[in-house]
Amino acid sequence: MDEMTRRERILKTSNGERVDKLPFFHNWRHMQIGWAEREARNRCMGISWARPSYVTKIHDVDISEQWLKKDSQMVYHRVFSTPVGTVYQDEMRAPGTGQWHGMRGWDDITPWHVARLIKEPEDYKVVKYIVEHTEYIADYYPLEQAKNWLGDEGVVMDIQPHQPMQTLMIDWVGSEGGRFFIHHAKYPDLVEELCQAIAKSREPMYEIGAKSPADIIWCGDNIDGVLVNPRLYEKYFLPEYEKMARICHQHGKLLASHMDGRVGVLKDLIAKTPLDIIEALHPPPMGDLPIGEGLKAWPDKVIWVGFPGSVYSMGPEATRKHTLDLLRDTLPCERLCVEASTENIVSNENLLMLTSVLENAELPLTSEKIDKIEKSLK
Amino acid sequence: MSEDKHLAALKESIVNLDFAGVAKAAEEAMKAGVDANTAINDGMVPGMAIVGDKFEKGEYFLSELVVAAEVMKEGIKVVTPYIKGEGTRKVGKVVIATVEGDHHDLGKNIATSLLRVQGFEVIDLGVDVSTEKIVNAVKEHQPSIVGMSALLTLTMPRMGEVIEALKASSMRDKVKVILGGTPITDEFAASIGADHKAVNALEGVKKCVEWVSAQERRN
Repeated sequence: MDEMTRRERILKTSNGERVDKLPFFHNWRHMQIGWAEREARNRCMGISWARPSYVTKIHDVDISEQWLKKDSQMVYHRVFSTPVGTVYQDEMRAPGTGQWHGMRGWDDITPWHVARLIKEPEDYKVVKYIVEHTEYIADYYPLEQAKNWLGDEGVVMDIQPHQPMQTLMIDWVGSEGGRFFIHHAKYPDLVEELCQAIAKSREPMYEIGAKSPADIIWCGDNIDGVLVNPRLYEKYFLPEYEKMARICHQHGKLLASHMDGRVGVLKDLIAKTPLDIIEALHPPPMGDLPIGEGLKAWPDKVIWVGFPGSVYSMGPEATRKHTLDLLRDTLPCERLCVEASTENIVSNENLLMLTSVLENAELPLTSEKIDKIEKSLK
Repeated sequence: MSEDKHLAALKESIVNLDFAGVAKAAEEAMKAGVDANTAINDGMVPGMAIVGDKFEKGEYFLSELVVAAEVMKEGIKVVTPYIKGEGTRKVGKVVIATVEGDHHDLGKNIATSLLRVQGFEVIDLGVDVSTEKIVNAVKEHQPSIVGMSALLTLTMPRMGEVIEALKASSMRDKVKVILGGTPITDEFAASIGADHKAVNALEGVKKCVEWVSAQERRN
C-alpha cells in the first residue's frame, strides 16, 4: 500500500476506516512555526485547521465600545443597547494583546472577561433580544482558502460556538464565583428561556456549517464533567448534538466536540450522543478518563487525543513515557488520532520526542511494535 | 417549634438548595430565640456536611456544592445581626489566591466557602494575584496555610515562584502550601516543594482541617 497522506489518515480514521499509520497532527492555533515544526511535519505530523463558515450581523442593537478605567485597571467596555434594555461586558487585555499573535498564552487569543454580559436577572431579556436579532450569514472563503493552502497536509474544520447552555455557563453568565450555577438554581426559567432562544437562533448556523467546504464540523464546547454535570449534559447538550448531527450527517459531514476536561462522569452519556469525534480528550493526569477506556465506552466514535500540557511541563523524557504508555493503553490504536497540543505551545524538544515515537506507529500497533519503537529511542 | 426543629429546617433547606427556605428557616429560628451561633454550627454546618457527603458519593455535583454554599450564605446573612460576642472561634487562617495570569476562580471560591464553613478565617486575594502580593499577604496575616489555584499550564510555574519567594522571605517553614487546579499533578506539586495537591475543593479542605488538628494536638 502506498503511504497515505496526512489528510487521508485523519479523515479515514475519523470515518472509522483503517489507515497505515496513527494519525498525528498539530492544532494550527497552538503550534509554533520553525525548524522543529518543519522537521516534525516532514516526518509525519499533519495539521488540523479550524475556521468559521459564517459571519454574524446583529440587527437593531446599538453597540458602543471604549476603553475605561475601572478599579485602577483599563478595561475594554462594550455596551449593547436594545429597545428592551442595555447590557455591557468588560474585557481585560494584557499589554500587547492585539499587537501581534505572539502566542504568549491565552491573552493573545481570548481576552479575559472581567464583567460578563449577564450579571443580574434583568439582563436575560436584553441578551435574549440580542440573540433573536442575530443573523448568521454564510461566508465560506476562510474555509476554501484553508483547504486550498493545506492540500494533503491536513483537515479543515468549521468552528461552531459552544453549545447554547455552555455559552451561558462559560461565556455570558460565567462560572466565576459559581455565578452560572447560582443563576440556574435561582432563576431557572430565565436561564431555560434564553438557552432555548440561543438554540433556535443557531439552527441556520448549523445548516451553513453542514453545507460548507469544511471536512468536519467542530463544536468548541470545552466540556468538563466537573462543570457540566451529567444532569446538565443530558438535558441540554444531548438534544442539541442530535439536532446538529442530523443536519451534519445529511450533508456528509462529521461532527466533533472539544472535550478537554474531566469527562469520566459523562462517559455513558457521551456514548449516547451522535458525535463522531471526541476531540482533545485529555488522558490523566489532566483528564480523568484513560483513552483506552474511552475507546471501549464509545465503540462508534473516534478519539482525537489532546496531549496533556502538564506532561510537557515535565520535559521530553516524560513526553516519551506518556506517549508509549498511551499507545500501550489503546492497542491496536485504531479509532485514534493524536493532537500535538490543543492547549499551549509545545517546546521543540517535546515536539520532536512526540514525533520520534509516533512516526513509526504503523497500524495496527502491537506490543512488539511498541517495544521496537521504544528501543529505537534509546 | 422546638430548637431541634428549627435546626432541622435550616439543615434541610441547605441540603435541598432552597434559597427562600433557608431565609425563612433562619428568620423563624431567630424569632424563636435560637442562638445565632447554634443556628450556624448545629443547623447550617451539618447541612453542608450532608451536601459534602452527597458530593463524595456522586449524588451531588460541583454545581450543588456551589449552590449549597450560596444558600448557606443567605442563611448566615439573616442570622448575623443576632450574633452575640465574638462569634465562633477560628480554627486557623488561610491565605488563598489564583496565581498571576490566571482568572479562574471557581475551585478557589468553593474551597474558600468550605473553609469558612469549617471555621477557618480565609483571606481571599482573588484572581490574577502576583507573587509579591501573595508573599506580602502571608507576611501581614501570618496564616498557617497558603492555598494557590491555577487552571492553565501556562500559569502553573507561578506557584513555584511563590514557594521560592516564601523561602527567600524565611516564611516557607511557617506555612503549609496546598495547590488546586486541573493541570496540577502530584509530581508537579512535589517538584516545586508544595505540601499537597488537592484532588478537589472538598478533599483540599479536609487536608487543611487535618493540618490544623495535628497542629492543635501538638500545642
